[in-house]
Amino acid sequence: MADKNPKSVSAALAAATCSLLGSVPAAPVQAAEEPTWDFNTALLYYGEDNDRVQDLSLNILARRNYVDDRSLTLGLTVDTLTGATPNGAIRQNVPQTFTRPSGSSAYTVPGGELPLDDTFKDTRAAITVGWEQPLGRLWKTSIGFSGSREYDYTHLGLNGSLSRDFNKRNTTVSAGLAVAHDIWDPVGGTPVAFAPMLDVGDTGNKTGSETKDIIDAVIGVTQVISRRLLVQLNYSFSNSSGYLTDPYKFLSLVDGATGETIPRVPPPGAEGPSHEFRFENRPDERTKQSLYGQAKYYMGGKVLDASYRYMTDDWEIDSHTVDLRLRWPLGEYSYIEPHFRFYTQSEADFYTISLVDGAELPAFASADYRLGNFDAITAGLKYGWKTRSGKEMSIRAEIYQQDGTIPGDLLIGNQVGRETYPDLDAIIVQFSYHFSR
Amino acid sequence: MGAPDSARAISVEAGQGCFVGLFDAMASPCEILIESEDRELATRLTRTAADEAWRIEDKFSRYLPGNVVGCINSCDGKPVEVDEETASLLDFAATLHALSDGRFDITSGVLREIWSFDGGDHIPDREAVSDVLQRVGWNRVSWRRPVLALQPGMEIDLGGIGKEYAVDRVAGILSEAAACSVVVNFGGDLAVTRPPQQRRAWRVGIEAVSATGGKGETVLQVRSGALATSGDSRRFLLKDGVRYSHILDPRSGWPVEGAPRSVTVAADTCTESGMLSTLAILEGYNAETFLDGEEVKYWCRR
Repeated sequence: MADKNPKSVSAALAAATCSLLGSVPAAPVQAAEEPTWDFNTALLYYGEDNDRVQDLSLNILARRNYVDDRSLTLGLTVDTLTGATPNGAIRQNVPQTFTRPSGSSAYTVPGGELPLDDTFKDTRAAITVGWEQPLGRLWKTSIGFSGSREYDYTHLGLNGSLSRDFNKRNTTVSAGLAVAHDIWDPVGGTPVAFAPMLDVGDTGNKTGSETKDIIDAVIGVTQVISRRLLVQLNYSFSNSSGYLTDPYKFLSLVDGATGETIPRVPPPGAEGPSHEFRFENRPDERTKQSLYGQAKYYMGGKVLDASYRYMTDDWEIDSHTVDLRLRWPLGEYSYIEPHFRFYTQSEADFYTISLVDGAELPAFASADYRLGNFDAITAGLKYGWKTRSGKEMSIRAEIYQQDGTIPGDLLIGNQVGRETYPDLDAIIVQFSYHFSR
Repeated sequence: MGAPDSARAISVEAGQGCFVGLFDAMASPCEILIESEDRELATRLTRTAADEAWRIEDKFSRYLPGNVVGCINSCDGKPVEVDEETASLLDFAATLHALSDGRFDITSGVLREIWSFDGGDHIPDREAVSDVLQRVGWNRVSWRRPVLALQPGMEIDLGGIGKEYAVDRVAGILSEAAACSVVVNFGGDLAVTRPPQQRRAWRVGIEAVSATGGKGETVLQVRSGALATSGDSRRFLLKDGVRYSHILDPRSGWPVEGAPRSVTVAADTCTESGMLSTLAILEGYNAETFLDGEEVKYWCRR
């Protein structure tokens, strides 16, 4: 029986039973264990080098399974972010002083160093609620709500999905839709596009809160190829509109010949920026499309999980992601899983590293390193084990390396040869614990 | 199917929001749960259920010399023409034999002449096994519906199908006879006629290890469909520390190695549940792999 197609025996058996009993079953089977709560908990640490972002995140996902394949999922995530993040300004050989986003004080970065804003500190709480249930024998549906709150940002979202099985359940076609409404309420107000950074206490460059709306749609097909191979293909579409700018990021205003940032002297008695900085401005709409393919291959207990994603958007960012995992059992109760991920993206069409003094302002500009051209590698190992009472635990350790390249035509004068892209190294450690009650 | 019980009586008790009809058939305690407040209806349904169970037992028990199975087994190789119902069961057995690559075989009962699974330590010698094997194998019989011819010395035993078949037959009859939800439970093999109205689901205890690892009795909730359990939790041989399961592989004449102690399968009908759990046990060490591949809900105890 081992080499036949999946479910071949049960399908043939159903037909034989039908002719034995001379009738078809009145209703499909609905049987399950008494409802239980399944808990998936995880504690994750993400730490960037050089005192940049540190994130400690606790995630609890509780799922209650009901007898007729309905289930309720409740999720809670609490995040604590601390550390410093690049503010968008370029390095200078002299110290640079910046007004903090709150507008209530200033900070100075020594000469030669990458300007980081060290006020980055936030606690985020997020909840999700989901309900999943079959609709008849072949259809399945889910609806969900998500919400999160942090000091300066609120997210509210709704999602739903529908799937149908075909071909003796060897093929599943699914479609999903999610909408979200997010509200930015930045510390010290939302900067006016390209407004200059002002002295401490001067809020003439700030306005109130901003919003953005996001629609995500995905259609996909999952196909059982054989008992060993499962493949999945997804197409997704995402549209964001509204305020897509990062209110804490700005650009250096530089001399068109030397590439050095234009100095500025605060009025007597005032504290303020030592150079000219302009708040960034991004388009108010972004449309992303992506294709995702995944294959899971089972080889005598080992599972190879390989996936590839291609993403393209109308900001001209194209990205490719390759992700490989191999789950290797060590006896009956434990396994190790090496993981490797490669990511590469091209820069956004309005990505630049500085604005030129006296030149006409572009429509949009951002020096956010996340919109630049970079490659990233994630490599790590997970070890998981199961206790005799059925509790599952795992520990995962990974390193993340991000390496950027600034296109040569964006560099002016002395910027050439100065390290301007903020490369990034990070480690990720996660402990997960799964149990039922 | 065991010997017919001499005391063929039914009783009906009031349960929690249902009536419980009780009787014995096929060497098992049989229970009919009826979601109704009408004791008369419950009594009538229990009577109908018991009559059908006893009819099937009388017709197919290998312990009754005069019935169709006795007739086939005692005719010493001569062809026997069988009735429609028996023919359907034989067709079903033939399909199972093919689906299981010969692991499921209704002619394997004669192996019990040399194997007795009483918890003792008597292991037959190899010669005795190969001698008996000469009289085992569905491929050795001639079956052209409605005529069956065994070779001399061969026997058939429908015990591996009979109880599940009886559960489905009774469930079918009770489903026609009453609009309320009824559970037909013959010694742990059960079917539900239609989803209950007054409760979300019927609760059924099975002796198995759940997927999440809890040991002991697992309580299942069943709204519709059927459950059946196969296993050897009480019937085995123990010799030199080796546990021999009572599940014999008819191709070798020896017990299946690495068989789980019990497998419970949920499927649309009790016949399907019972056959899938039996086939899983016959797969031995690969029982779970087989069931995973069939994508059925199951609870396996090792």
